[in-house]
Amino acid sequence: MRKGESIVAHFDWTLFVIYIILMIMGLSTVYSTAYNEDHPNFFDFSQKYGKQVIWVGFSLFLGLLVFLIDSDIYRKFSIPIYLFTLVLLVIVLFMPPVNGARAWLGIGTLGIQPAEFAKIGTALLLSRVISSVNIKQQTVKTVLLANSIILIPMALVLLQPDAGTFVVFTSFLFVMYREGITYDPIILKLLNGIPGFKFKETWVGTHFIPLLFVVVFLSLVTLLMSNEILTFDAFPDLQIAGFWVVMLSLSILAILIFLILRFMSSRRDRNRVVLIVIIGYILAAGLVSTVNFGFQGLAKHQKDRIELFLGLKEDPDGEDYNRNRAMAAVGSGGFLGKGYNKASVSSVESNHVPESETDFIFCPFAEEWGFLGTIILVFLYMFMLLRIIFIAERQRSSFNRIYAYSVAMILFYHFAINIGMNIGFAPVIGIPLPFFSYGGSSMMSFSMMMFILLKLDSQRREDLQ
Amino acid sequence: MNLDGRKYVIIIVTLLVGIIYSIRLFYMQVVDETWTLRAQEIAEKRKEITPPRGVLFDRNKKKIVSNRTYFNLMMKESEMKNFDTVAFAKLIGWTREEVRERFKEIVKGEGTYRNKHTGKRSSNYQKIRAYPFLKEMTLEEIATIAAHLEDFPGFYEEVTSMRSYPYANGANIVGYLSEVYREEIDEDPFYKPGNNMGRAGLERFYEKELRGRKGIKYIVTSALNNAIESYADGKYDTIAKQGPPLNLGIDIILQAYGEKLLANKRGCIVAIEPATGEILALVSAPTYDPNLFIGKRNISKNYPKLLLDPSKPLYPRPLAAEYPPGSTFKLLNSLIGLQEGVITPESGFPCNKSVVGCHNHPSAGNLADAIKHSCNPYFYAVTRRIIQQNKEKSVFVDAEIGLNLWAKYMHSFGLGQNLETDITGLRPGSIPDANYYDKWYGHHRWAFSTIRSISIGQGEVMLTPLQMANVAAIIANRGWYYTPHFVKSIGQDGPLEQFKKKHYSLVDAKHYSIIVEGMRRVVHEAGGTGRRAKLKDIIVCGKTGTVQNPHGEDHSVFVAFAPMYKPKIAIAVFIENAKGGGGLWAAPTAGLMIEKYLTRKIMEKDREKIILEANFSGIK
Repeated sequence: MRKGESIVAHFDWTLFVIYIILMIMGLSTVYSTAYNEDHPNFFDFSQKYGKQVIWVGFSLFLGLLVFLIDSDIYRKFSIPIYLFTLVLLVIVLFMPPVNGARAWLGIGTLGIQPAEFAKIGTALLLSRVISSVNIKQQTVKTVLLANSIILIPMALVLLQPDAGTFVVFTSFLFVMYREGITYDPIILKLLNGIPGFKFKETWVGTHFIPLLFVVVFLSLVTLLMSNEILTFDAFPDLQIAGFWVVMLSLSILAILIFLILRFMSSRRDRNRVVLIVIIGYILAAGLVSTVNFGFQGLAKHQKDRIELFLGLKEDPDGEDYNRNRAMAAVGSGGFLGKGYNKASVSSVESNHVPESETDFIFCPFAEEWGFLGTIILVFLYMFMLLRIIFIAERQRSSFNRIYAYSVAMILFYHFAINIGMNIGFAPVIGIPLPFFSYGGSSMMSFSMMMFILLKLDSQRREDLQ
Repeated sequence: MNLDGRKYVIIIVTLLVGIIYSIRLFYMQVVDETWTLRAQEIAEKRKEITPPRGVLFDRNKKKIVSNRTYFNLMMKESEMKNFDTVAFAKLIGWTREEVRERFKEIVKGEGTYRNKHTGKRSSNYQKIRAYPFLKEMTLEEIATIAAHLEDFPGFYEEVTSMRSYPYANGANIVGYLSEVYREEIDEDPFYKPGNNMGRAGLERFYEKELRGRKGIKYIVTSALNNAIESYADGKYDTIAKQGPPLNLGIDIILQAYGEKLLANKRGCIVAIEPATGEILALVSAPTYDPNLFIGKRNISKNYPKLLLDPSKPLYPRPLAAEYPPGSTFKLLNSLIGLQEGVITPESGFPCNKSVVGCHNHPSAGNLADAIKHSCNPYFYAVTRRIIQQNKEKSVFVDAEIGLNLWAKYMHSFGLGQNLETDITGLRPGSIPDANYYDKWYGHHRWAFSTIRSISIGQGEVMLTPLQMANVAAIIANRGWYYTPHFVKSIGQDGPLEQFKKKHYSLVDAKHYSIIVEGMRRVVHEAGGTGRRAKLKDIIVCGKTGTVQNPHGEDHSVFVAFAPMYKPKIAIAVFIENAKGGGGLWAAPTAGLMIEKYLTRKIMEKDREKIILEANFSGIK
């Protein structure tokens, strides 16, 4: 730090202001939702809103501490920080379960959720590891290392079990994709072991995010079709299972791609084209078959959950209770909402929407502020995410950039899944809405994540020297 | 490899999610109503408050039907804790099995609803809803239980309102209430399971007025179905409004007295105030105590009993029983004869017993005396003149014209058709016309001689006691009537429109005086058939009737009004199977009724004693 220069000289006020606005909106929503007539005081610490005030205050204090520490610390100490969070994740597995999951460390309300902090540790170490890799010379070792950093906490989180955080960890895939991490070293090692194969690179290894979308899309289509049986008016005796329709479409698509590629490619490449299309077709068919028969083989209650999510089944008062109540709350908000403290479906008192001050806090907000409120909230999150990506892209150090992307993608996941489950677009997995939901661990971990980012960004120029 | 482009992939994915979510939110919150309706279904409950029903007053402002508070013992399964079946059974005085059975019944039967689309019924039982475990308990009954209810969480008492009858009279007039059926709930959204509805009498006819207006309270309820707060600060709530009181023309003292007089007899008394058409009393004997029909438990116990009773206490005789009017009918034939000009007050016909039987009396030289003696041959001759006016050569064609003319007159007296009074269960009686006899004998195959029994009110002529009383009222009014009705006013409003319209008979007012004079002679002159109706200071005008009954003893009939000038009461008394003519039983009964109504005292104690002791019920 240069002498005489303020600690906040290159502070990104824009991001900070959005962060503060979201936190205030969250606080007001928690107050409205958990409002208790006997304890009207906002600062009544026996109430959730009072506690949330403490969490916010404590988070800002943590933020100040983070800011007083030199940014270099986070890179240098990323390994101990990561290991520390891993140790916490292991310890938490020996704690008594709360609501069926061993996610809490500590007693009662004073507990923390190590899983929330593990995201920071993972983000820091991943940034350090990837920033030290020469992208052009990736080896099996580096790829495995980068992936292990993510997979270890994922495995530990799954043991709690905490499906929500488990899913959130896959956000690092986007970061790796952005940084050019490729699975080619592993794929090539396997593929080129087959006689006659001599690939230098594969599309699959480098473009795994688009591939991910293809896989998800194919799986969804297969699931949607797996219970269908198509009949034709012209041929009354003909019945085709949905699975075969998918397979048939896939075959036709493969033939088309094959013809196009063969027509366009040179004579020398033709054999390769045949090979690629055949391998691609086999993999796709394998995926469709696995999803289809895997789904058929699932236990009834598991099948039910998937069918509910896909909208193939309705059970508004049973299995689908949470999502149905949440959507009713959101949808009934109308354009202007029911007014502050007027939520009738999602207030804690009415209790129709469970966890309405934590994971489902979007419900009371949407119910009370209507579309006007929700569009502003979506806009604020969008603005925040794009701002972080913008910040990421202006970093000179790759460590900073990777960390910033990690933050952006973690927040993006939380935003997309949390709001998605309120509007029927995402399965109900409990993860908090960043800066908004009631809860100390999430508030503190997201704040720390944010302040580390702000700190790194404010010192970005020093990396030149 | 150009990694820089990949930041756009991420930006686009982020933006895409933001845009899709915005569109989705717009659709869910602004465009699509589904979720708003769903939210209402979930959290907003319409709570209906059923007001007490309107009460009924008699003409002297005596409350004859009022409301009384009863209690339901409610249960809510979700709040039940450590339920001790044995202790609970002991508390309410049941066996353990009975308690279990009742639970099963509630779970299976209570709160069933019909799916509007499929029409299928299914049990709507929910643990978080309250259902009545015991219904309609009196204060005394609930008091012993209520003290121990705190040992049984999930059970509590709820107030409900039911009828009470300060006088045990007029059951056939007021009717009774019972719980609505599922079909009725489906038909009229006003009713909810457990609501009551008027089943007979005035309770049924004035159901829409008496039930009042339900109060609707919109409340926000929690997932456990507990009320949290009123919705929108009660902006949309409406207050329950009790139905307006019905002020009846009934004199409950007279009604009670009439019921007393007809004890141990089958028959009717109908009394009407001629000037207004208000029904003063409508006695149907045998009758029943309206208190037997309070609440589900009483009804299910007593209704089958009364329904199967061979004396038919539930049958509304004054409205529905169609009797031949007997000699009382001679009054009408006289009036028509006068109007048609086929007789004059001075017309005399010999008592020629060869055409039709008669008792021994001097031949009547004028109409008034003929009425006094109730001379059958005289009225045979009168009616013959009406029917056979010799307008046509053919006696058959002549009779056809004559009978239709006669029937037209009769209809103008409210006969042969429903008197549209404010009670259900009316029958029209029967006034035969040409079509009627054509069906029996064939077209132009009958003449007066064939149908002569109509001249003395026998044969095909049928009247209900209400119609008979109305005839008395028409004569008392000298030619007109208001449709008889029970309700003088509904709250502040007067009677229904149809009761404000005067109906005129086709007989001019001037012809009535001689008939009235004849009726006076019936009661007040020596040789009159109805002298037992005579009162000391009041001139009673009446006419006896003895209805021949092929199945048993003759029926005793008397129609009358009093006083002669400015009549206050018109009355018809019909006593079935009375051993003796109209003069013997019906006339004194009518006299006592008139005395009771006009003086509130009974001077003729001996007469009263005889009537009270008479027993024609067939049961000694």
